[in-house]
Parts: sequence; C-alpha cells; structure tokens
Amino acid sequence: MSFFDDFLAKWREYRKPGYYERFDYAWTMTIDLDRCTGCEACVTACQAENNIPILGEAELAKGREMQWMRIERYWEGEYPDVKLRFIPMLCQHCDAAPCETVCPVSATYHNQDGLNAQVYNRCIGTRSCAVYCPYDVRYFNYTDHQWDKPLDEQLNPDVTVREKGVMEKCTFCIQRIRQAKDSAKDDGRRRVRDGEVQPACVQSCPAEALVFGDRQDPESRVSSMMDNARAYRVLEELNTLPSVVYLKKVDGNAG
Amino acid sequence: MNVDSSGRDGGGRGADQVGVSIVPTLRLLTPAALILGVGFVGLVLGYWANAAFVPGTTPEQPIDFSHRIHAGDFQIPCLYCHSQARRSPVAGVPSVNKCVGCHNTVASDRPQIREVLQYFANKEPIPWIKVHDLPDFVYFPHKRHVAAGVECQTCHGPVETMDRVTRLAPTKMGLCLDCHKQHGVEHGLDCWTCHK
Amino acid sequence: MAMIDRRDFVKLVGAGSVGAGAGFMLAETIKHPVEHLIPYPVPPEEFSQGIATWYNTVCSMCSAGCGISVRTLEGRAKKIEGNPSHPVNQGRLCALGQAGLQVLYNPDRLTAPMLRTGERGDGAFVQTTWEEGLAEAANRLSSLRASGQVDRVCFLAGGVRGHVGRLFERFMAELGSDRLLNCDFGHAQTLYTASELFFGERQLPYYDLENTRYVLSFGADFLGGWLSPVHHSLGFGRSRQGRSGVRGRFVQIEPRMSLSGAAADEWIPARPGTEGILALGIARHIVEEGGYAGADRAAWAESLAGYTTERVAEQTGIESATIVRLAEAFAGTRPSLAIGGGAVGNHTNGVDALVAVNALNYLAGNIGQTGGLVFNPVPAFGPTARAGQSGYRALLELAEDARQGRIEVLILNATNPVFAMPAAAAFEQALAEIPFIVSLSSFMDETTALADLILPSHTYLESWGDDTPEPGVGFTVAAIAQPVVAPLYNTRATADIILGLAQELGLGDALPWASAEEYIKASWREIYERAPPDAATRSFDEFWRSVLKAGIWGEETRREAAAFTVDASVIARVGVAAPEFSGSSDEYPFVLHPYSSHALHDGRAANLPWMQELPDPMTSVVYGSWVELNPATAEELELREGDLVEVQSAHGAVTVPVFVFPAIRPDVVAVPIGQGHSEYGRYAKNRGVNVLEILAPLVEPTTGSLASSATRVRLVRTGRTARIVKTGGASRQLGRGVVQTTGEGASAGPRATLKGIPITVEPA
Repeated sequence: MSFFDDFLAKWREYRKPGYYERFDYAWTMTIDLDRCTGCEACVTACQAENNIPILGEAELAKGREMQWMRIERYWEGEYPDVKLRFIPMLCQHCDAAPCETVCPVSATYHNQDGLNAQVYNRCIGTRSCAVYCPYDVRYFNYTDHQWDKPLDEQLNPDVTVREKGVMEKCTFCIQRIRQAKDSAKDDGRRRVRDGEVQPACVQSCPAEALVFGDRQDPESRVSSMMDNARAYRVLEELNTLPSVVYLKKVDGNAG
Repeated sequence: MNVDSSGRDGGGRGADQVGVSIVPTLRLLTPAALILGVGFVGLVLGYWANAAFVPGTTPEQPIDFSHRIHAGDFQIPCLYCHSQARRSPVAGVPSVNKCVGCHNTVASDRPQIREVLQYFANKEPIPWIKVHDLPDFVYFPHKRHVAAGVECQTCHGPVETMDRVTRLAPTKMGLCLDCHKQHGVEHGLDCWTCHK
Repeated sequence: MAMIDRRDFVKLVGAGSVGAGAGFMLAETIKHPVEHLIPYPVPPEEFSQGIATWYNTVCSMCSAGCGISVRTLEGRAKKIEGNPSHPVNQGRLCALGQAGLQVLYNPDRLTAPMLRTGERGDGAFVQTTWEEGLAEAANRLSSLRASGQVDRVCFLAGGVRGHVGRLFERFMAELGSDRLLNCDFGHAQTLYTASELFFGERQLPYYDLENTRYVLSFGADFLGGWLSPVHHSLGFGRSRQGRSGVRGRFVQIEPRMSLSGAAADEWIPARPGTEGILALGIARHIVEEGGYAGADRAAWAESLAGYTTERVAEQTGIESATIVRLAEAFAGTRPSLAIGGGAVGNHTNGVDALVAVNALNYLAGNIGQTGGLVFNPVPAFGPTARAGQSGYRALLELAEDARQGRIEVLILNATNPVFAMPAAAAFEQALAEIPFIVSLSSFMDETTALADLILPSHTYLESWGDDTPEPGVGFTVAAIAQPVVAPLYNTRATADIILGLAQELGLGDALPWASAEEYIKASWREIYERAPPDAATRSFDEFWRSVLKAGIWGEETRREAAAFTVDASVIARVGVAAPEFSGSSDEYPFVLHPYSSHALHDGRAANLPWMQELPDPMTSVVYGSWVELNPATAEELELREGDLVEVQSAHGAVTVPVFVFPAIRPDVVAVPIGQGHSEYGRYAKNRGVNVLEILAPLVEPTTGSLASSATRVRLVRTGRTARIVKTGGASRQLGRGVVQTTGEGASAGPRATLKGIPITVEPA
C-alpha cells in the first residue's frame, strides 16, 4: 500500500465506533433524576476542581457559557399543575461521538478508557466539534481568562489552565482517574477498585444522584444502576452511544 | 569609483573600474528585496546564534553545586537527595537541611558551603533555577518512571560528570513518545496519559 | 571586488543587524521563562512535594455545621470536599460549601486593622497596627468599666456556635455587660420558639427524612436552604430511591415553588400565610375522622373545632377534597413527617403555624419514631448560641437604645444588619447615634463601612474553633475546626481578638488562654475528661489528634423514645389566626414573597464570583435581581420578561426586571434576596436590588421577629426594559424527551443492547 492508502486505512479504523475491542475501563456515570434536586453542588464542585474560569455578566449576556456540568431546567404544564424538571448535563463521552469525527486536527478522540479526550495543545479552535455535539456540552474559550489575585491561589495544578482559542469540556475528572491508576500501580499493579475514582461532581452531590464507575465490571455500582428499569440515555435515537446513563424521574401522582 | 549622485554606478560609464563587478546582478534586484533578503539571512543567523551561544540550558545557580563531586566522586546515589522522585509525581530538589546534614561538619569552612549554612541559619530556601522545566500542561510523574526502572541518566544525561547541570535532552514531546513506543508502555501513546 | 555603494552597504548591514537582532530575540521569546525551584528550608514532617495534605475542619458558610476536608498543596487550599465521617453531610457538600475557597482567597478581603479617618460613610480608612487597634478599643471599654457604665457596651455577634461563641459570652460576662445579642437574618427564630412552645425545649428536633414515607412540608425549603440542606438532600435521595420497593412521597405547600417544591410530587399553593390554617384543617380531620385514639382526643377536638374542612378550604383556597386526601395520606402512611419553615414562619401568625405543624406530627404519631421527628440530646457543649438567638425585636430595641444615647460602644461580628434590616426600622440612622463602632468582619460590608475601628478576623479556613451541628443528628456529635492554611494577611482569629481585648482590659485571669488554639484545646480537655472512652490507654494528645484526624467526635447518646405527651394548656393554645399584611389589598394587590436566593442565601455569598455566576436553579438567571410574576398576572398587566417595574411597598420601592414564572400564585410576586449591596467588594457592589429594604416592619407577636412575608406591594411599570442574563436554552422540552419520566412502579421496557451496552427502547 502506498503511504496515503496506509494513512487513510488507519484514519478510518480509528474512527469506527467500537474501535477498541474492549476498553481498559469503560467509565460510565449514572444520574438518577429522581434523586437530583437541582441544587447545583456538582456545578460548583466541577468549577473548583477543573479551573473553570468565571466569564462575567457581559460574556454570559452574549450567550456564552462555561459550565462543564450544568443543570438544565424544563417546565411542564401550567399553573397550578406545573412541574419543573432538572437534568444535569455534561459531556456524555459518547462511544460514537460526533465531535470526534469532525475535528480536523484530531484534537478530540476516544481513548482506551472510553473517554472522549480533548487535547488543548492540538486544538486550533475551529469550533466544529461544538456544532456537532448534540448535547451542547462543549465550551469555547473566547478570551484569555483572568483570576483576580489571590483567587488564582486556588487553581488546581493537576489541571491545565486553558487559554484563548481552545475548546474544553468535561473530562470525567481525568486527573482523578489518573491519580487512582497511579495509586493502584503503587500498590502493586492492581486494578482500580469500584468507588475509588469519584469525579468532583459525583463526590459532592448531596442527594447521591450521581454514581461513577466501570461498566465492564459486573460488580460495580454503575452496572447495577444501568440494570434499573428506569435507565435511559438522552437523545438515544441519535445513536451516539453515550457513557452517561440517566434514570428516569418518577412522576409521583397525586394521592 | 565613479558614481553619480543617485548612488548607482553608472554602468559602462566608468572606464577606470577595477575587477569583476557584481553590480549588474545586484542592480537586477531592487534595493528593497535585497534588504529583505539580507535581513532574513540575519534573522536566521541571529536565531542560530542564540541557540548556539546562549541556549539557557546551563543556568548559573545561586550555589555552585557540583554533581561531579557529589554524585561522581563521592558516588552519592541520586535518590538520596532527590528522595521525592520515588514517591511523588514531582521530583524536586532537596531542602537545604539535606545539605546541612553533612556540611555542618564536612568542609564547612569553604565559602560556598558557608553560604549554604547561612541559608539554613536564616531559614531561607535556596532559590534554585529549574533546568528541566516541562510546561504546565504536562503530567510527568517521576515516581512512575523510577518505579519502571528508568535510569535517571536516560533523560538527564550523565549528571554525575557535570559541574553545572546542563539540560541535554530536549524537552519536547518526541523524547517521551520515542521512549514510550520503544518500551511499549501501556497507554503510552494516549494523549491523556501526559497531557493534563 | 564587488562594487557596492556605501549607502547600500550601510543599509544592508543595517538590515542584517536588525535581522540578526530580531532572530536572536525571537529565539529568546520562545524560550521558557526562567522558573525557580524553591523547596522548604526544613520541610514539615511527612511532607511530600506534589502530594496533597488534607485537613478536616467545619464549614461555616451556613448554620448547618457540615464537616469538610480541605485539600491543600504546598500551603494553598485547592478543594473543599465533604468529610465522609461527619454524620451531617457524610462526605457530600453543597455549592455554597464549595465556594468557601473564594471567601479565603477573595480579592476584597480586609488585610489589616483600620481606623476611620474621614466622616462615617466616607469610606476613608487608614491602616493601623493590632497594638494600636486593640488599645483603642480597650481604652473605650475600660473607661466605661471604670465609670460603671459597661452596660453601654453591646456585642452584636452573628450566632457563632461552639466554644468561640462561649468565649463571647464569657467575655461579656467578665466585662459586666449583658448586651450580647446573637442576631442573624436567616435565623429560624419562629421555628425554635414553636419547638419550645410545643415540645418544651428550645432546640430543634431531628427530622428523619431518610426513613420517612410521606412528607408534608409547609414552606420549608429543606433542599434549598432550610436548616441543613445537605443532610436533608441525603435524606431525600435515600427516601426516594434508597429503599427497595419503597419511594417516599413529598408534598410542598408554599405560594411560590422553591427547589423543594420542584422536587416534590405535589406543589400546593395555599394563600400566603394560611398554611398553618391548612395544617390545622388536616389536624382536625385526623382527630375527628382519621381515627385518632389518643387520650387527649376530646381536648384536641375542642381546640380544633373551628377548623372544619369547608372553612379551611375557604381561607386557604385549597379544595376540601385535597385537604381530606392530604390528611388521610399523612395519617395513613407510616411513618410520615410534617416540617415547616421558610415563609410560613415569617408571617404574623408564624409561630402558631409552626406549632400547628408540630401538632400534626403529634397527632399522626410521628414523635420519637424512625422516619418521623426525633428529639435531640443536648448538644455537646450545651445549648447553642443560636438557640438563644435574638432577632428583629432585639435589634429594634438596640436601635431605640442607640437613639436614646444608651449605647456607647457597639462591637459587630459575622452580621450585617445595615443590609438585612428593612429601611422602615431606621437601623442605619440609629447607628449614627453610637459614638464608637468596632467591626470584626473579614470584609468591608455595609455595616463595617460605618465602623470607626476595624479589627478584621481570619476567615473560617484560617481559624481554630469547634462546632455542633444544628439541627442535631439524633446523637451527640462535635467537630474541631482547624486552620487549613497559614493566615494570608495581618488578620487574627476572632477568638484571638477577643482574648487580646481581654488581656488589654486586665481580664486575663478570667480568660487566661494565650491563643484561640490553646482555648479550644483547653475546652476539649473538658470533653476528654468528661467520659474518655479509653482514658487509661489514651492521653489527651492522642485523643486530640484522633479527633482532628477523623474530623468528628461523637457519643452514642440517643434520647429514649419515651412517650411524649402534650399538656392540656398547649393543646388549648393551638390555633392559627388569619395572617395580617401591611398595606391594603386595593392599593397593594400583591403579597411580596422575598426568598433567600439559592446562590447568595441572605446576601452573604454575593461577594463570591462562583455564586454570582451560579444560575438560579428555577430561573437560570445570573448576576442580577428580578421579580417573578405568574403568567396570567403578567398578561393582565401587559408585562413581559425584562420590563422594568417598580415594586412598591408602603415603605419603599425597588426597580427590577420582570421574570414570568409559571409556579407562583397570581396574587403573589417574588423577589430573591441577596443582591443590592452598596459595599462588600467588587463582585457584590451595585448589582441588583436589596428587597429587604422595602419590607414592612410587621412582626410576629410572640417572638417579635420580622414578618418578612407580610408585605403587600404593587407593581408600577417604568416603561424601560433591562437585560436579564440567563444561561441555558429553552425552558420547555418541546417534545425532545430530554428529561424522561415514568409512573410509579416503572414497568421494565424491552431491553435492547448495542455492543453490550444496554439501550432502553421506549414503547410507542
């Protein structure tokens, strides 16, 4: 095969869903909508952990956002039979991610842990991935961000501070996953145990609505949550194969 | 030479010119292009000169610590001073109390050693300059590499022969990838292994 | 020889040099800037670079008292997590707790003691030393002591619990003044009084949400901000989905849907202030028709005779059928729980309404039951400062005393009455009559801006202290608060400031501790000696370290589930009058519902950028204030989102943009509390409106607390519009099925998988 044929063949192969025959870990998050209260503890925990910048009123007024984990709210019905539904929305780490297909420089790809990885150094800021993402969970840095001193003392050194022109999104707290794997290796090559990795949002949730773990491990909590009859995925019909599984909110009827 | 007021040689005018003239060639190029060309050549030369003469790979340190004496002649193992390398993602440099451990008595009259003891007496840290500085977006855990049996000299070079530490290895991604490929490191080629 | 013109030659040399210089500098710019490696001169024991150190302490962002673990790297606090060992939050933490880092590293912190130079309110301060500052304060206090006028000294503390709170008490006692007021706007004074009146004890019981099956919440936003939201969220989550086959049901009764209302199965918007009447209507049904078989049935029947379903339906606007249904479900589902608070407690009938809620629990047999209401043992350090908390009435009396010239020195800590008091109380004006005001605040808030001397405190992450949670968790627990970083500025722990003052005043013998740390340690020695578990093998130092390491200490001291009986006089007293409002309903057609905003609470978090940018959960609005209108009301008044209206009460007005809010009564408008600061730092200043200003000075008569839900208002259009900044997209799903729901007892749909990943397929 010529160099280009070889190159194209590899390119196609990397982009097939299910490229990895078996993930090393298949990180999955389940979100129980019947427990979620919309309190936004997860939102702030993520901000603290991942050096998420504060955009300020002017930027938000332009419609820009910077919340890797956000709470969406949807009203149903009319007064007085009105209901408000909350749903936490974060990068779904789709196994068939639309964003991965469009990046011209491969700055986003699927890694061996089933995570949709975003490499800031490679990103050239075309923002096509954000357009392709059906969940609208990719956030672009339109400006360089400032932290009024000494707020910068709080920045987490395990996470890059992103600069203008790159796309960012939830990483399932890769720094915590990395650290857990490191600890496992320190202890002599064992696997990461279920519950050892807790992304910031999962750890903080006061209602215990978020559960995180390896769905390939049949003993893990996420596996049992996924077996729940209420399990579904958002925009399932698009076949993005998300790694975030939601549990339907139970509509407790009157009486 | 016979030049007119415009500064240009009059060409066939000067019957008393000596030697082969490159003027016709030069005249073909407009002065602006020539200036740009020379400028560009200058740029390249300047760039090279910087890398050749002031690469910054061997900064002068506040204390002229010689690895050749300590690690070379006295064969003190690397991990004795850089003890963090085994258990921390960060290797770092030893605190001044490590130096004082020996130098309280050993050669304590020499001027540099007296400076070290002064730092310790004032409870001041020695402000070392980082020689091997990776960008902030890189996660490089020393403990993983030490645990994998990678010799310090692999990346840092023959430090035990250096009087002043020089950065021999380029701190470029290629270095990491070559080694990861060569040794078949598990997930060594995944971006998120090293990029935070 | 090349023939080259001299000028050309010079130009070329010049170009070459410039090029070389540029190339050189270019190479220079892409070089890494020089970085230093600065190790500790002598590293602390067990320290490893790059490896975090965790410190357990207690969160002070609200009054719940959750335990936290703070991750620090090289002396900097990086992340706050919940302490898994602490029974209140069990490893979890709310958004406000996470934002504590921004209190510590806030750019607008006060960094040193300051003395006022210009006129009060000019904002002109000059830095001074601690020696000078403490001496200045001590001089004033000691001269008053000498002339026997120490009753002219008032200490307005913010309801600080634990031994630091005790220190304030001891200081004032030693000084000889009994003017120690613990005031905090968010304090649920009516709830404590209702507990005292019905249960006979002035402390809150434990509300066992985790194990209950039916909750009737009368205005208590237990998931949002009522008492202990993290613990309640834990309980809520477990009540919903923590037990196999059992799902707790929640009913929320309030005029405007809160976060808890959104989570509830049923939201019932009774007329504002009539929730207590509804409670008694339910109670009467339980007594008369619900098979209540207590010995005091006759007494109850007599007391509740007037609360017939028909009459209650008329007063509350809730249908009779609903009242009956709620009563039967509440009494029939075992165990059940009734809770009350929020706006319900902030009416003129607030205490009576909350007593009615307690009565409901009694009649349904929830007292002392798992899944009901359990009495707490006395807290580890004795009754808390909050239990004895003063309120609006005490502040009014203080203002009056000030106007009468009876107050010489006012010391302020952890409270901001100039912001929280309604304008009608004229509190700020009364402060002008106090000759000397000392503030111990960490920030330049509105009240501190009027101080003469500022002795700034450490933030809670830099201080020693201790705490007991409130409400208690059913057994005795306490936690030590320790600093997680070295102090950033020239501030001192509040306890150290008080101890320093005591030294200056010659009270060193009575308060002999050299530092806050020593004081807390000495206090815990008492606990250690009280009932040390294995004192024979453990020294105090080991005990101290073990408590610090765990972040919690406790005793198995549950109250016995003795049968609780209620006195006949208490039964006779049960009754809820119709609520009173300020302003006539003709002139002021709407009832104003001010509510603590989720992100900013009572305004304390307005200086934290994370909280300002946190979208309001219900409306998604950030960075501003708004007034919520029912859609029908908005249509009737021809108002749209963004229209600026003046919300006028009989005591003031604020101008805010309209927000059309589907879940609010048509005769109620709601404005969040928290913005409208005139000081308090760059993130808080001059943003939004402070709705507390326009509240009418109506009080709940038993406690004298401010009936903050009793103000009537009218809306006056200004003709202008303002920008409301929201996050997120559409507020309706529009058929996209993003949030999916299922009925009770969800049926298992067909389960398909794709590459081993299960996919649920919704039947058509």
